[in-house]
Amino acid sequence: MDQHIKKVYVPMTETAFFILLCLRKPNHGYGIVQMVAKMTDGAIKLTPGTMYGSLSKMEKDNVIRFIREEDKRKIYQITDLGLEVLQLELKRIDRLYKIAQEEM
Amino acid sequence: MQVKKQFKWFTIFEYEKEQDYLREMHKSGWKFVKVTGLGMYHFEKCIPQDVVYQLDYNKDGLAHKDEYLKMFDDCGWEYIQDFFGYSYFRKAVDEDGVAEEIFCDEESRFQMMQRVIKGRMLPLLILFFTVLLPQFISHLFYTRYYLIASLIGGVLAMYLTIFGMCFVKYTQYKNRRK
Repeated sequence: MDQHIKKVYVPMTETAFFILLCLRKPNHGYGIVQMVAKMTDGAIKLTPGTMYGSLSKMEKDNVIRFIREEDKRKIYQITDLGLEVLQLELKRIDRLYKIAQEEM
Repeated sequence: MQVKKQFKWFTIFEYEKEQDYLREMHKSGWKFVKVTGLGMYHFEKCIPQDVVYQLDYNKDGLAHKDEYLKMFDDCGWEYIQDFFGYSYFRKAVDEDGVAEEIFCDEESRFQMMQRVIKGRMLPLLILFFTVLLPQFISHLFYTRYYLIASLIGGVLAMYLTIFGMCFVKYTQYKNRRK
């Protein structure tokens, strides 16, 4: 994996994390906003400026890809590289969590 | 319909100040209609309300305008206009008093600023180093047209102030991340 990708996505922002998590199935930006609101009981409310910027940047970084357009909404899906990055990040979080449990 | 015009000058990185200005105007019963020229703000009389105004700067968004505006529309933001690459949005503060913004993390706020730097600041810098600075030096030391030199000098000083302010703001944003 590219060092640049590793540097940007491990660790990644919560926004990027939820985008990758949700895009294991094809979805559009607003669909992700709704999914995340539901998953977190409204605690995390993603916003359109952040979503639009993140989605285009992540598409450029090739961790997600554009599939098609539906009713003016761009539908994206995670790529193999994106899945790899998500796995790395999950491992990192898991390690932190385990360390904390042992220490506390 | 009662209308009002106000001239306001905001430099490159003062979009937050501009947002606050528009919000305050709406709170005092003047709804933003459009901005024209070099910064003429048009308002119309309205019922005073707390409405959040937000500016985005996204060339990619303007190139794919339908999808870009759809995303904001889906999230409940009203699109007002574009102005020199900036897009203006507004959304009323909800009953719980929660004022939403269009960015929800420091990383994306910083990225917006980087887009502003690339789109607005870079052309100014190029103008500064390829035209203004050489002109200033040649008038001051070679042709000795001191009047012209001092005029250009004034513009240079203004530029330097703007660059300085931008640099301070940039560092603040950078440090706020993570």
